[in-house]
Amino acid sequence: MIKKSRITLQDIVPFAAFFVIFFFFAIVSKGRMLSAYNLSILLDQSIMTIVVGCGALFVVAQGSIDLSVGVNLALTSVIATWAANAWGGWLLIPVALLVGTLVGIFSGTVVSKFKVPSFMLTIAMLIGIRGIVNFIQSFIHTQAIPASMSILSEPYIKYPAFVLIVIVLGYVFEYTKIGRYCKAIGENETTARFVGVPVTFMKIVAFAVCGLTVGFGALFSLSSIGGTSQQIGLFFEMRVAMAVFLGGVLVTGGTSAKLYKVLLGSFSITIIVNGLALIGLSQTQYSQSIQGILLLLILGVTILASKKSKKYAAHPEDDEIDAHSEDQAAKA
Amino acid sequence: MNTDKMLEIIGLNKYFGPTHANKNLSFSVKKGEIKGLIGENGSGKSTLISQIAGLYSSDSGQMLLDGKPYSPGSPIDANNRGISIVMQELGVIGSLPAGVNVFLGRTKQFTKNGVVSLKALNKAAAEQFEKWDLPKVPLSKLTDGMMIETRKIIELARALSVDPRLLLLDEITQSLSMNNRNKLYELINKLKAMGRSVIVITHDVEELIRITDTITVLRDGEVVGDVVSAETTPDEIKHMMVGREISGDYYRADTTPEYADKVVLSVRDLTVPGEIENVSFDVHESEILGFCGLSDSGIHSVGKAVYGLIKPSGGSIHLKSKDLMIKSASKALRNNMAYVPKDRDNEALMIRASIHDNFVLPSLTELQGKVGYLSPAKLKKMAQDMTDKLSVKCTDIYQTIDALSGGNKQKVNLGRWLAKDIKLLILDCPTRGVDVGVKAYIYFLMKEAKNNGVATILISDELTEVLGMSDRLIVMKDGTVADVIRRDEDFTEQSVIRVMI
Repeated sequence: MIKKSRITLQDIVPFAAFFVIFFFFAIVSKGRMLSAYNLSILLDQSIMTIVVGCGALFVVAQGSIDLSVGVNLALTSVIATWAANAWGGWLLIPVALLVGTLVGIFSGTVVSKFKVPSFMLTIAMLIGIRGIVNFIQSFIHTQAIPASMSILSEPYIKYPAFVLIVIVLGYVFEYTKIGRYCKAIGENETTARFVGVPVTFMKIVAFAVCGLTVGFGALFSLSSIGGTSQQIGLFFEMRVAMAVFLGGVLVTGGTSAKLYKVLLGSFSITIIVNGLALIGLSQTQYSQSIQGILLLLILGVTILASKKSKKYAAHPEDDEIDAHSEDQAAKA
Repeated sequence: MNTDKMLEIIGLNKYFGPTHANKNLSFSVKKGEIKGLIGENGSGKSTLISQIAGLYSSDSGQMLLDGKPYSPGSPIDANNRGISIVMQELGVIGSLPAGVNVFLGRTKQFTKNGVVSLKALNKAAAEQFEKWDLPKVPLSKLTDGMMIETRKIIELARALSVDPRLLLLDEITQSLSMNNRNKLYELINKLKAMGRSVIVITHDVEELIRITDTITVLRDGEVVGDVVSAETTPDEIKHMMVGREISGDYYRADTTPEYADKVVLSVRDLTVPGEIENVSFDVHESEILGFCGLSDSGIHSVGKAVYGLIKPSGGSIHLKSKDLMIKSASKALRNNMAYVPKDRDNEALMIRASIHDNFVLPSLTELQGKVGYLSPAKLKKMAQDMTDKLSVKCTDIYQTIDALSGGNKQKVNLGRWLAKDIKLLILDCPTRGVDVGVKAYIYFLMKEAKNNGVATILISDELTEVLGMSDRLIVMKDGTVADVIRRDEDFTEQSVIRVMI
């Protein structure tokens, strides 16, 4: 998929982690994980993470983060359900996509125009929007989507739509100017600006794309569950963030951001959650701690590996490597 | 043992992977000696002084300080033995104020109950500036956004604050403007008078001969010559550096301005508060328009403002060839303009990304196919072709930029714009930190661009460079245009300096 002249340790670790997790749970669950039924569940459970993860990739590539995807999913679902019930089922789709995108555009605008760190802004939104969601839910009576719209969860609609979304996002991210500009901003924002990349605009675009995928995510979730709930979108931002970082994308973004990594990371995280359920740990009080420890472990290895490969990469054939960074490190 | 040798180095070796950066290097510095170190990019100069400064360890060989074995484990270690360094590439922490940067890693002395007293620290920093007679710097301001020159002076203050017996200066003059260079020369003389030693690295041969006592020439990690500065000539040094005859004359030979009548860009009353005021000029097709001035003259801001990187408070930038106003950098990029910033590592290149990615970045719009498709093969071909054409020294185009030498980085920085069909090229100190070979090549590329009708704005701290290349030269002073001199008029350093000061 991606032409690379050198494969570094950093690239291998996410694959290794995936296979370790896969075989570990395949064995521990005594093969139950690999049953056809469970595999289809695994895929269904990954769909939302992958779709939103692909959108979040645009933001992460720029070195930003969107922690409001979970709450955006809730808001989008609630408003779309409301609109669909009030004025007609077909409204579910455009309203979901529109609300998701608008929330993204709002985040992107605040982050880029007012130079608010994305981390802080989206945490504020995570709290603020949850309040709005609770408020809306307090006066709308029905939480279920119109029966006509459950057609969206039919396999012949759901899977082609999923594949199409991933292909389009993959194309835009890996093979167009938009993706390359996102990575350039993550590599060095000043550099990008000095070359003439429209940094402000690209940040809004990235958050808008992320919001749009939240809209799609909301449609997948609404159609498969049949409606909204109080719990909708809770901790979803964490799952998406973990999928992206587990796949080997660095928090600083830049050229380390690759779409295939999101796919890999999404499957890894889904297998962890699913595997823990299969071996009966999901109902216990330990499951979240175990998830946390596993994630920490894998991320730790990824970061160690990336440091190792950096050392190899900086083989100076001459006298001008950036020794000043070592200098700073030593002095600081 | 000769006791007046302050630092002696015997048979030093340093490897970076398969690269043998220092080969059996032997070299010494006397007390009170100003030692010059010169060599092409990649000859091992910075590696050598990095070992002296405790940034790298040596693989074999011995260093003696005052006749005693010396092997610093860290820069702090070296500081404690009276050795400090100013690095070539910028080493200040942007998110910290200037004052803190001066005492980076040594703030303990200002700490009470775990709290650093910024007041005491800034006072001590101000004393250092006073003591060494350095240009004033706003000490409580963050270094982020300060000019390269200012940041360099902060680094210098940091190095001086340890009261060094041996000061290592790696390519510092090229970041300074005329007036501050003179201050640096005075400082070096002062250190010499105090019986301190200095090792200076610079690519400017004439300068090196002028300010040093002795010069050591390196080539491919080996010492190829030790000469007394007063008894040598620039040509002899250059010859030693490259191992072959090299003509000292790489500037333009003609003495008449030559450009078309067609105006490419017309700037009127451009004002950026605190930086430039009412600057007006026209650049013509095939013209190289030089800009020079002292450090607060605002020449660098002109380049940034013209490329739409800083918002002017007044005035207009009219791109005549397209009949539109430049209001943002993205508009400039879309309309065949190019900008090569002075600060290569922080403003121009994505240093942790590959040569490939850096090459294609400005040309993405041109490389697009149907539905915005960027063909990996097409991108690769472009990057490969340019790498070959400019003979960038690298293992392959996927190597990261930070592994390249200054000269090769600059080839990428400039070359990626020349791959485009540009009409206006803005160059800010294009030969900063590159050796004579690459320098000559950059001038060649500029001439080539000129012949192709490109209008060039050349902003430089090197007077010889703007005099050597420009058709017309704009001399700036305190943010305004002080004079415009044509190539066929009084085009000499003396006349320019007279206007500048």
